[in-house]
Amino acid sequence: MAKPGNGAVKDTEQDSRAMGLNVGWTVFSYLIGGMVAYGAIGWLIGKAVHVSILFPIGMLVGLAISLGFVIYRYGRQESMERNDR
Amino acid sequence: MIGEASTVASGAGGCHIFNGCGFPAPGLQNFDYKPLFSVGSFHFTKPMLIAVLCVLAVLVFFWAAFSRPKLVPRGVQNVGEMAILAVRDQILRPALGRRGDGYLPFLVSLFFFIFLMNLMELIPLFQFPSMSRIGFVWPLVFMVYFLYLFLGFKHQGAWGYFRNMIPPGVPAPVLLILIPVEVARFFIVQPFTLGVRLFANMFAGHLLLTIFMVATWYLMSFSAGLLYAAGSAFMVLFVFLLELLVDLLQAFIFTTLTATYIASSLEAAH
Repeated sequence: MAKPGNGAVKDTEQDSRAMGLNVGWTVFSYLIGGMVAYGAIGWLIGKAVHVSILFPIGMLVGLAISLGFVIYRYGRQESMERNDR
Repeated sequence: MIGEASTVASGAGGCHIFNGCGFPAPGLQNFDYKPLFSVGSFHFTKPMLIAVLCVLAVLVFFWAAFSRPKLVPRGVQNVGEMAILAVRDQILRPALGRRGDGYLPFLVSLFFFIFLMNLMELIPLFQFPSMSRIGFVWPLVFMVYFLYLFLGFKHQGAWGYFRNMIPPGVPAPVLLILIPVEVARFFIVQPFTLGVRLFANMFAGHLLLTIFMVATWYLMSFSAGLLYAAGSAFMVLFVFLLELLVDLLQAFIFTTLTATYIASSLEAAH
């Protein structure tokens, strides 16, 4: 029979695995989401003003925004947790 | 897979290397099936038959295991309990904790249905993963997403649910910039990746198995080609074992993400 201590460690490992999987895919979704959203906005504006370069620019801007947000949200959270230890 | 590969190869007229014919490369045609029967404009195909059989298999298995449960489990009930506990301890509890035990029947059904559907690519006669047709994946994604939204609205309120998506303390101008990203992530990218991940893995696995199967057939000849055929046959075995792992892993990932979505709907994640 497993010791209670081992069970707790196992639970924590499983918790962090589920959390890691979720955070990983959320970060990926943010990066693609930023490109999709601002790419679409850039494309729409570009279509209206006949400047096709706005589409790739929008995608890059979206990527930069989501990258900044991911660092703000998850990077900060991780560093705060590290300080707590 | 074996039957399908043979069909492709025999369709090429017993085509082998050095016979002057090209490699009958498998492709999208391997994912199209002629209807088994038709009712008006509705065509019932092999992937649909596999899906129906998988639903029945999950239903019959758990009904057989728990229709007359004994205090000391035996036989099918023993296996059924192990299956349920595996989903509870590896998927549900890590994401939802004890408060999520009410969602166990849903997650168990979802996991075993997807796992069985994936596993069908390795079972002779069936040898096709229905999840490699994206039409079978979207209903699952819509169902999960509908539940995700419904639980979020129910527990946090419609306004509170969307407000909680953005972490607190974000300045108003930044919030304005973030809204399009958040909308695209939540309504487009997240459901898209949930569905496409499962579909693409099954599609690629089936194609890989078919390619090596057909290659084994094509390279078979009384010459040096036989060595290549042996190499290809080894790859069939390797991909077969790899797919066994992928089938399980994809069912696990889909169900784990569903559990984490439910968890984030039950309370705001910051």
